[in-house]
Amino acid sequence: MSRSGRFAAWLPGGAADPEDGHEPDPRFTFANERTFLAWSRTALALVVAGLGIVQLLPPFPGVPLGRHLLGVPLIVLGAVLAIVAYGEWVRNQRALRRGDPLPRSVMPWILAATVAGMAVISAIVLLISALR
Amino acid sequence: MTGPTASDPNASDRNASAPQASEPEETDTGLARERTSLSWTRTAISFAALGGVMLKDNVITGLIILAITPLIWRLGRLAVGGSPPDQLPVIGRNRIFLITVSIVGVSLLCLFVAVLGPAVPGALHRPP
Repeated sequence: MSRSGRFAAWLPGGAADPEDGHEPDPRFTFANERTFLAWSRTALALVVAGLGIVQLLPPFPGVPLGRHLLGVPLIVLGAVLAIVAYGEWVRNQRALRRGDPLPRSVMPWILAATVAGMAVISAIVLLISALR
Repeated sequence: MTGPTASDPNASDRNASAPQASEPEETDTGLARERTSLSWTRTAISFAALGGVMLKDNVITGLIILAITPLIWRLGRLAVGGSPPDQLPVIGRNRIFLITVSIVGVSLLCLFVAVLGPAVPGALHRPP
């Protein structure tokens, strides 16, 4: 499948709308939707946190771009989480329709790695700020 | 014979963990539907919270995000209303895609405001 074809497969009305398989139990469909919504709220919370850091925190002495260093990645991660959550919803729904095992989720790994990375960056910024 | 047998001592455990047909959710998807509707409401509230935070920084952007909030709430009500069952999968796909586009758009707006917008440094810092 070409790159544009793969992209179209994830859009509504595209090839991702599986004609094969059968409509799953509505409870599973609703559960998949609730999982997507929970990740969406996580994404929104990250955006709020990033915006608050950049706009409301006092500047870090000695680290002129410290607030942006902490806030901008959180906002970008919020957008990335929303897109990945949509991809996971499509994959899970397809697996449910076909009766396949549910695919492994990469979302917890993305979130854990980013939070750990942000913690390290925060510690470095705070240490530099305290030493100045 | 439906009860546990001597040759299968774990049968009673399996029966205990299996969903029973008498459970309300087993016969009616209304509870799952209601939980999903509530989840949409929480998502709409999250949008409103983000709009409220943004109002302090950029009024127009905040109002745009606040205007999205009732649309998100309305999307969540589609599955609860009188939509015919065969239309629900299509409605589900479209609204999931719509909310993804909304979050990405809002994130880009916030990124723009965070990088280029005027900040109020120290707004959270209360002087002693």
